[in-house]
Amino acid sequence: MTDRLTRTAATRLLAERLTREVVVANLGQATFDLQHLADRPLNCYTYGSMGQCSSIGLGIALARPDVRVICLDGDGSLLMNLGSLCTIAAEAPRNYALVVWDNEVHQTTGGQPTATGDRASLAAIALGAGIAKSVEVRTEDDLRTAYDRILGEDGPQVVCVKIAPGRSEGQLDRDILGHVRRFRSALATLPVSSRSV
Amino acid sequence: MGMGDPSWSKHVADVLRRNGIRVFATVPDYIVTQVLEHLWADPECRVVTVTREEEGVGLLSGAWLAGQRGALLMQNSGLGNSINALASLNVASQIPIVLVVSHRGDLGEFNPAQVPMGQATGALLDALGIRYIRPGAIAELETQGDGLIKLAYMRSLPVAIVLPAELTGGKQG
Repeated sequence: MTDRLTRTAATRLLAERLTREVVVANLGQATFDLQHLADRPLNCYTYGSMGQCSSIGLGIALARPDVRVICLDGDGSLLMNLGSLCTIAAEAPRNYALVVWDNEVHQTTGGQPTATGDRASLAAIALGAGIAKSVEVRTEDDLRTAYDRILGEDGPQVVCVKIAPGRSEGQLDRDILGHVRRFRSALATLPVSSRSV
Repeated sequence: MGMGDPSWSKHVADVLRRNGIRVFATVPDYIVTQVLEHLWADPECRVVTVTREEEGVGLLSGAWLAGQRGALLMQNSGLGNSINALASLNVASQIPIVLVVSHRGDLGEFNPAQVPMGQATGALLDALGIRYIRPGAIAELETQGDGLIKLAYMRSLPVAIVLPAELTGGKQG
């Protein structure tokens, strides 16, 4: 599978289309790539609380229905908080999308296999939780189509992106408090849009 | 335990609401449901039922990042389910949240499985530096509740209102 998508390429494809969306990034690789490829005040990085990325994004989406919220989760982390999919389905925020970088391993801790490399399908689990717009994508063309939908259509949506394993290189900026203050301030000063997202 | 004054639950709901809290997450139990009844009936309040208390910690942290104050209503068993998120998200990132924790496993408890977590509740909160009150009567709740919540947002850290059976009447076995 030499032509498997990479997280870096998939992150870059999304980043070049962002305008006033909030992006919540999972601890580890998702935060790392977003910080390096597209650092911006409306990015909400996480550094701990494994599993909570999708829930943090849900809280933001419910509080700011005028802003589209995109979560970048990982397969290992979402597997730790599968109940979140049921809550997302029940609350059904139109401005919410969950993108899962699914490389079938716990990348940050050394590449130990997760259940998605065996039999589990996160897109199918999301569908079963009640999120009708749940897809799995493996190619760049399908990923572009999925991004069109999460940026242009009502949520909630789940996009499980099958990517190649691999760590990002370099140094992560762990100014946690600085990033929290910057994000909260950027969202507070983002004008409330009357336009439905 | 003996009978609590049944108006305790409205006092708890009112302390939360008059301090600007409008978004709530919960895994309900018999006791916090008495508070939830007031919040479910209030069109200004949003109550999200989550599947596990830790999820509520994440959700309410997101709400605060987006400018809203939130409270998590749960049993102390749920405090155990929330510990890592409270430590590595709320304490590490200085994100305030108000925990409303029914205290099972203490005076008068009938279920032995509740007792270990009940006896550990104060120590768990202390271990994370989470300031809490444990009002034994409505007057004590009214004296301390506003100040506790003000402290949470001034200090930008979690706080907890622990609800003992002396206040709520507990749950009869």
